[in-house]
Amino acid sequence: MKNQKIIAIYGKGGIGKSSTASNIAAACAEAGNKVMIIGCDPKSDSSITLLRGVRIPTILDLLREDMDVKEKNVVFEGYAGVKCVETGGPEPGIGCAGRGIIVAIQKLKSISGDLLKEQDLIIYDVPGDIVCGGFVAPVRKGFVNEAYIMTSGEYMPLYAANNICKGLSKIGMPLSGIICNSRNASREEEIVAKFAEEICSQLMTFIPKKSIVQDCEREGYSVMEKAPNSDIAEIYRKLGKAILENEKKNTSNSLSDKRLRELTK
Amino acid sequence: MTRKEIVIIHPRPSSIVAALYTLRDLNVDVAIMHGPPGCSFKHARLLEEDGIHVVTTGLEENSFVFGGHDRLVKLIKKSIELFNPKVIGVVGTCASMIIGEEMHEAVLEANPDIPVIEVEVHAGYPDNTKGVLYALKSALDAKIIDHKEFERQEYLLAKATDIEKRFGAASREYLAPSRGDIKYKVAKRVIQLIKEGKKGLIIMNAKKETGYMFADITLAVNEVAATLGIQKNLINMANIDTMLGLPRVRQHAEYIMRDLKAHGIEVHEIIGGMDEYPITGEKVSELVKDKYDDYDFAVITGVPHAIPMENIKHMELISITNGPRQVLPLKEMGHEHVLVEIDLHPKTLGVSKIVESEFGATLREIAKEA
Repeated sequence: MKNQKIIAIYGKGGIGKSSTASNIAAACAEAGNKVMIIGCDPKSDSSITLLRGVRIPTILDLLREDMDVKEKNVVFEGYAGVKCVETGGPEPGIGCAGRGIIVAIQKLKSISGDLLKEQDLIIYDVPGDIVCGGFVAPVRKGFVNEAYIMTSGEYMPLYAANNICKGLSKIGMPLSGIICNSRNASREEEIVAKFAEEICSQLMTFIPKKSIVQDCEREGYSVMEKAPNSDIAEIYRKLGKAILENEKKNTSNSLSDKRLRELTK
Repeated sequence: MTRKEIVIIHPRPSSIVAALYTLRDLNVDVAIMHGPPGCSFKHARLLEEDGIHVVTTGLEENSFVFGGHDRLVKLIKKSIELFNPKVIGVVGTCASMIIGEEMHEAVLEANPDIPVIEVEVHAGYPDNTKGVLYALKSALDAKIIDHKEFERQEYLLAKATDIEKRFGAASREYLAPSRGDIKYKVAKRVIQLIKEGKKGLIIMNAKKETGYMFADITLAVNEVAATLGIQKNLINMANIDTMLGLPRVRQHAEYIMRDLKAHGIEVHEIIGGMDEYPITGEKVSELVKDKYDDYDFAVITGVPHAIPMENIKHMELISITNGPRQVLPLKEMGHEHVLVEIDLHPKTLGVSKIVESEFGATLREIAKEA
């Protein structure tokens, strides 16, 4: 059996998980890997920059209409051949988004079992706040085999990252690495590297804050497609490669709030 | 490509309960329900009468909010301590499935050294047979049944679901429950038919353990005919093949066969196993066409709506069901007399011999007067 990487990227909301996930997906696909990205956020915008800004029908959109869901209705090919899927969800404030994720990924497994097996890399893009059991379903149902956490060097994202560490170790999911997405905080790389070290993990990469990422997204593109020669595109390529080659995973520790404060001072 | 299904508004069997009954057929010693204290209470209680232990994690408000993992782990361990089971089942409920409980993790943590059939089920399926299917699938994974039996059961379930949708309680949006025709009147009519020397088919097409009571009707009609000295006009058919189905289901067939024999009743045609009630119809139809086309009446018990009307419509049909919502559909199919054995199921759990039916008792009483 081939060594399939099925990863989930966690982190505080708004920290850049979706844009990093789609850029990593695009970079790995360009390098000749079979890649799929599964957006598990009810907002359904994980793969939008791989699809030139176009929204695709979500699994739950179709289930809500009582459709007999087929692979071709919910799996769409985006930039560089990345397979894009969105689970979708209910309107904010109605129903149960957590159950929605469970139902959607089970449906995907039943209609696209072969396609899922074929992939070299599957990225589950999960919402920042793991507010209930459904949001960890990809991990708990055994679909995900590696977890990454994204943070900046600011206190709040680190606090969220630290909480996620607690959560992951609670459900017995090892951590494969920390990704730093810079927000131009002072001593940022140093702080995040130290955090990674203290929770017994590793810093995968430091992604500097560059306006080109936002510019590309506004136009509905990933950096890989719109600005392939930029420095940051090269960083995504390296990160993608590092993830594909990463074999290190550890049950993560978490820090006390006091220590976290000291670290970010 | 849109699935068009009617929305049924009358209360109906639950897929959680269906999973519980299936676990019982698989001879599980303990069924652990992961859910609120009162979930499926009535059937859980009945199943205890049938010899299996049923326990619940009794999730309450706090467990809905914070999860029920620890409770399940503890209960698995406790059940093993209390009942010393050989096989256990763990069954989901609406509450635990909506909050995303992973029962498998609890099983891994409790780490019992006996097989566990885990059924991730809730009651939100239009077809309650989904509960049976999920339980069987898990039993297959736990190597408690083989692939051949699984496929056989899967086929039977699809047929059963189809029959319920076409002719049964799932055939329309709302069906009012009914107690059917008056047993006294219908019993008199049956005795009259026998007296007149009319030829009759006594067909039992029962679902599993319900046969313990439906067989009593076969028994009673034959007894009445014997009293009148004209038993030769009757042909008995029954789905009591002792070689088909899960072990528990075969055993029901053996017990019923044994009791019928003890009363000197000959079953002329075995029409299938006790889990084959959805597919025996074709067999009955063929038999009638080939051998019994000239019969005048038929007493059909159990799941009468599974017998196609084509070859029996010229007969006077007397049907006995245990489903109060089955009366109207049977009448519309053309069954002249439809009777309901109220509360049949509870009386057939935990028994190993034929139990008296109301219609059987009525027949016997009237025959005494005659």
